[in-house]
Order: sequence, then structure tokens, then C-alpha cells
Amino acid sequence: MDRRTFIKSAFAAPLCGLLLQGCSSQTDRAKRGRLTTATGSDMSTMDMAHNDSVYWAQLNIFDRLFETRMVNGKATVVNSLCADYDVSDDGLTYDFTLREGVLFSNGDPLTSSDVRYSFCRLLTEAAVNTDIPLQVLGGQALMDKKTDKLEGFIIKDDTHFSIVLETPNGGFIAQLSSAAMSIVNECVTRAAKNFGKDPSETIGSGPYYVAEWVPNDHFTLRYNERYWGEEPTVKESIQRVIPDASTRDLMFQNGEIDIIDLSGIDSLIVQRSYKVEHADQIVYNQQIGMNYLALNETNEFLKDVHVRKAICMAIDVDDIIHNLMSDDAIRQNGIIPTGAWGHNENLEAPPFDPDGARALLAEAGYDNGDVSFEMALPSDGPRLLYETVSNQLSKVGINANIRVYDKAAWMEKRRAGEMESFITVWMLDYNDPANIMAVFFGSPERAKNRSICYPNTDVMARVSAAQSIVDDEARKREYQELERKIVVEDHAWIPLYQGMRLFCIGDRVESFTPFWAGYGDFYVKDVVLRKEARA
Amino acid sequence: MRGSVAQGVLRRLLYALIAIVGVAALVFVLLRMVPGNPVATLLGEHADNETVERISSSLGLDQPLPVQFANYLLGALRGDFGESYTLGKPVSELIGPAFVNTLWLALAAALVAWVVGIACGLFAAIRKGTIVDRLFMGFSLLGVSLPVFMVSMLLQYVFARYLHWLPVAGISDWTGYILPAIALGWGSAGSIARLVRSSIIEVLQQDYIDTARAKGRTNSQVLVLHALRNAMLPVITLMAMQFSGLLSGAVITETVFSINGIGRLSVQAIAGRDIPLLQGTTLLCTFVIVMGNLAADLLYNVCDPRVRKGA
Repeated sequence: MDRRTFIKSAFAAPLCGLLLQGCSSQTDRAKRGRLTTATGSDMSTMDMAHNDSVYWAQLNIFDRLFETRMVNGKATVVNSLCADYDVSDDGLTYDFTLREGVLFSNGDPLTSSDVRYSFCRLLTEAAVNTDIPLQVLGGQALMDKKTDKLEGFIIKDDTHFSIVLETPNGGFIAQLSSAAMSIVNECVTRAAKNFGKDPSETIGSGPYYVAEWVPNDHFTLRYNERYWGEEPTVKESIQRVIPDASTRDLMFQNGEIDIIDLSGIDSLIVQRSYKVEHADQIVYNQQIGMNYLALNETNEFLKDVHVRKAICMAIDVDDIIHNLMSDDAIRQNGIIPTGAWGHNENLEAPPFDPDGARALLAEAGYDNGDVSFEMALPSDGPRLLYETVSNQLSKVGINANIRVYDKAAWMEKRRAGEMESFITVWMLDYNDPANIMAVFFGSPERAKNRSICYPNTDVMARVSAAQSIVDDEARKREYQELERKIVVEDHAWIPLYQGMRLFCIGDRVESFTPFWAGYGDFYVKDVVLRKEARA
Repeated sequence: MRGSVAQGVLRRLLYALIAIVGVAALVFVLLRMVPGNPVATLLGEHADNETVERISSSLGLDQPLPVQFANYLLGALRGDFGESYTLGKPVSELIGPAFVNTLWLALAAALVAWVVGIACGLFAAIRKGTIVDRLFMGFSLLGVSLPVFMVSMLLQYVFARYLHWLPVAGISDWTGYILPAIALGWGSAGSIARLVRSSIIEVLQQDYIDTARAKGRTNSQVLVLHALRNAMLPVITLMAMQFSGLLSGAVITETVFSINGIGRLSVQAIAGRDIPLLQGTTLLCTFVIVMGNLAADLLYNVCDPRVRKGA
């Protein structure tokens, strides 16, 4: 290479850089009104009949009869497509009136028939979210294909209908606000060959419609001009699939994404970088759920209440919150988490007391090191938390041996009721104690399904029956009584903490309200762009 | 002679077919032996046993294994590899675009590897024992030694975060391929450079090089027309093998740079126990590697007259 060629090359690289930078002003204009976010993994479908874990599409494309929204700092069920409703004294019959003038994004008007169809297809589609429509009279018969009609869904006219339940359910309205109960366009969905996968066939009445979905790459939403609610400042939302957390971090730092969910980012980076350099841009959101330690009562040691109580007393939750969670968590004492309807603030768990734990073990006839069980850690689980808990238990002479399982194997073992112990998180889908109490303690099958194997069938029958109590106060009292029995007397559930979900908003975002339950998914309409970033 | 080459190719193609069917059967059996119910993994925390059984039945997972395998093979012959559990689309629709992305990435990385590797090896061989040799070989060694994720992150920090010249991740246009190609190609370039250097040094000591010089050829002519051409024989094999390796998916690079390629799809399929998707990507990778080996052999035939004669 001669000198001239060398000099040319030396200048070429920076010039290329400048050229690439020159495109940025055009890009800025194109970005107006656009929100770019990133997620670690893509959804399998937008269809609520086949997806109950990723709600990004459901929350933004569809509406529900009700929504759970944060009102004065409290998660509250508010009317959405339902303008008004009335419930009979026996709690069995609900009369609904639909909001007038609601149109789907393709221009079709919303009618009672669309609502009925949305309920029915969950039962006829071999769906995952069958729990709620199954409560409607005749739901089981429809699912079993003994009839083609949902008996308890009675249409009066285009905007009025009634729903008759098999048994009363005090939390029914809250359940109707869950993403699973999104309302679809009957006409389009019936004719659709690929509902939930083909954007043109996936029509809702929500603030956005799907403009493009490239699986595993990106998902684009555009503002639905026919939307009945307030016009959002975000006119286009692009959610990119970026599996690597450090890449998401860099993209945010580089201004390529506008909101980052910090839950996947290394905690050291969050503490040292985000909380220092972007302190004013961090949005804290309480996760309505909790991390808990599950103990399988079929295990020879764990079936002894003394051992379970000793475990509870040996774990220093405050230390975990301070040192592992950097104080971004709230200690939990029960099953119904802080912020959920029915949460009992006065419930007191046994204090951290290692000496008391040792005494309990001795009382039960166990010497130091006698008690031993396996703590199953999923491959993507919180290893540090497991190690901390195991270490704390070892100090009172309990051997909690950590064994790592591939996530799929972990789920299968737990589902079979064979897992001795594990720590995981549960978050609510709808704001009602049934969404946690009944899931874990609603029946022997459910308790086994979660590898808790709680043996008290009387308590489980009461948990199941509590759902039918129509009077809210009485229902709350019953749930709290059961919660006390399970946690304080039986120590069948070791509550740990409720985590905070942290988001960081970029310079283009003025404000952002995360989803009430603390999911990574949120309503895009709840993001307000700064004036200069609007279309 | 041409007939014997054709026979050889046909024989290799037959072996390739046997290998592909064998791998398909092996993957099918292995995936059903490993613990972890794909439906339970797909449905996640909230689904109860009844739902898992209902969905398993609707996916045909409750049928006997031989029936499932027969259905799979029949489908595969028609080009139907089933539908991905996790991404909810036909496998062929998913692996098609992913393979195109991986192909472009592999081509770009191969370009980096070949150009940089051959150039480094050539200069190092010419300046054997000098500081230039050590510099080029050090650069190559670094490429081989540094983990791809580290190089990737380093490139992202320098060229995306600080210089703002290139995007951090994604391939919305051609600029998106630059960083991943360098990250992926550097390691391969290192191997090529070392091989080119040693081959050229060896070739330069041969008598025919002296003959060429005696005939009045310039140094450049000797180097390019005689030394490099002969030294490239082992390098070609390496390059072909590397390219088929790149095509079968660069998991880390695709993950770090968010490229929806075959490697990323495969990892996703393993984690989600997405049997149809994993079978599809594995079959594709097997096909690519088998064909890569075949291509290497054929190239060798073309480049080396002795091999042609031997065949």
C-alpha cells in the first residue's frame, strides 16, 4: 500500500461514519409519534385462546368489558366497553349495557353478539383461558361439545345482554378485566383462517391495530383512528425482539429504544448506572404478586409443621430485600400480596429467629444436619436468591441442597407434584384473592400441581367456596381467615417479598404508567411522548 | 474419468441422505427422551393439568411415537415440518427467512474472514520473523482467542455506543451486518491467517518457486501465481468447513446482535421444547454441513489436478 492509498483509507472510515450519522436527522423526523421498545422473547400468538403469558398484543389491540387501572395509587376495576352493569341479589345474574358507538378497527360496530362470541370461542378452541367463561351457565356443556350455545349468555339487543353464572362469584367483574377476556370482532374472527397470527384477521376495538408482525424480530402497532377513547400521543409502536439483556441496555443508552424494562438487566448496572445517571427517568412499579418458598408436604421432613415453621424463622427476608434486592422490594407476610384486593396488612409472620428455629427443630427431634431436602432451581431462575436462602437455612442446621433443572424439566417435575422445594414468583392476572388462593389451595389437584401438596382438604374446600361469597366484606374476611390458617398456623406457604418492576424512560418520553400488576407488558396509550417527539 | 467423479458425487449424496434421515430419527427420539413436557413449557405457570392434556392431544403428542415419527417424515417429504409451538407459525415459514438472515451474515463474516485472513497470512509469510509477522500473527491469535460475545460487545460499545456510526443490534439495513460480520469473521480470519502463513512458507521453499524465479517472474507474480495458489489447497478445505459452520448458525452472534437467524431459532427451540422447530433447524443444519463437506471435496477436485487424476 503506497502512502496516498493509506491516507485515502485513513479518511474513508471517518467519512463513512459521518455519512451514516447524516441519515440521523431524517430518522428523527420519521420517529415522531413512534415509541420503540424491546422484549426478550416474542409471543406465540395474539390469540387469547392460546396465549396466557404474553399480553402485549391483547392489551393494546383489544378492549375488555372492564379494565383494571391504577386510580389514586390503587388497582381498581373500571368500566371499559361496559357502560353500566347490575348484579342480582343472589350474585348469579349480571345485566350489562355496552358503551354506545364503539367501532372495531375495521369499522364494524361492537355488539352484544361479539361479546358472546368472545366468551364462546375460549371454550370451543381447546383454549388455555377457559376458567372464566366456564363459570357461565352451560359453559361446561359447550366445552364438552354437548351443545353449540352458551346457555347463560342471553342477548337482549345489540347493546344489552345478561350473563347467568353456575354459582355466584364475587370476583367475576375483576376477572372480566383480565387480558384473556378481550373482545374480538365476531364476523372477522369467524371467517379468519389465522386469527391471532395474521394481523389482517386479528381485529379489536382497542387503541391500536397490528400493522406488521415479523416473528422473532419486531411487532408494529399503529393508532386506530376509530378508537373510542382518548387519542394517545404514541401513534406507532415498534416492539423489537432483543434476547440479550446487555444489548437492550446498550440500545437504550444509544437512544434506539425509548423505554427499557430493567428487570433483565444486571442489578449492578441498574444500581451503579441507571439509578445514578437516570435517577429521574426511573419508573417504579409494584408487582402485584410475590416471591415465595414452596415446601412439598409429602417430603418426610417438610410434612412436619415444626420444620416448616423453623424454615420460616431461619430466613432473614429483610436481609434479602436489602442486600439482594437493593431495597426495591416489600416484605410479604401472607398469600394475598400487597396492593391486591383483600390484602391483610395486619398479618404477622413469625420473626427472623435462628435460635427459635433451632429450638423448634430440636423439639421435633431433629439434630443439626438431620433435615435435608432439595431446592429445585430452574435454569433461568434466581441463583443468588437460592444460595442466600440455602446459606441462611444451613446456619440453623437445615440442608437445602440446590439442584439446577432445565426450565422445561423443572416445570414438569413441579407439575407432577414431585418437587421438594422451590422459590418462584406469582403475579396476579386480575385483582382478586381467588387468583392466588384458589390457584394454589383451591383443590388437592391444584396443590399437587404446584408441588405444595397441602393435605388439609377442609381448608381447600373453604378456599374454593370463598369465591362464591357475594358480600365483598364477608368474602374478604373469609379469605383472610384462610390465609392466616395456611400461613401462620400451617406454615404451608413461606412468603418472601414483593418485587418492584423498574422501567427507565428515554428522553423522548414525558411520562409512563406501567401495567397495574407490574408486568413487562403495558398499555402503549399510557405512554405520553414529549411534544417534540409527537407526530 | 468424468464418470468416476459423477459416481463419487452420487455416492456422497447417498451418504448425505442417509445422514440426514439418521439425524432426523435421532433428534426425534432424543427430544422425546429428555425431561420436560413441551406443552407445559409452552403454557407456562397458569395452565392446569387438564389444559395441558387437552392441548397435548390437539397437537397429536398423545399418539404412539412410531405414529408421530411416521407423520413427521411424511410431512417433511411434503415440505411440511409442522407448526412451531412457541412462535405459532409453520416451521418452513420461520426457518426460510431465518436461513436467509444467517446466509447473509455467514457471507459477510466469510468475506471478512477470507480477506483479512488471507491478507494477514500472506504478509506474515512474506515478512517471516519480522515485527510485521508478529503483529499480523498476534492479531490473528487474538481473533481466535477472544470469545465472540466479548468481541461483539466491544464492537457495540465502540462503534454503536460511542461513535454512533452503526446500530447496536438488528439488521434493518446493510449497516446492521457490519459489526456481527466482524465479530464472527475475526475468529475464522485468525485460523485462516495461520494456515495461509504456514502453507506459504512451506511452498516458498519448493523447487518450482526457484524455477519460476529463474524464469524471470517478479516477486508478486511468484507469490500470487505460484505460491498462493498452491498454498490455498488446505485453506480451501478450512474455508468451506468454516462457511458451512457459519451457515448452521452463529448462536452467540445472532443473540447479541438480535439477528433472527438459524442459531437463535435453535436455542429458542431447545429452551421452549419446541420440537417441530428444533427438528426443522437441526435438519437444515445437517443438510448444510453435509453439503458444505461435499462442496469442499469438489473444490479440492477443481483446484488440485492430482486429486482429479486420483479420482
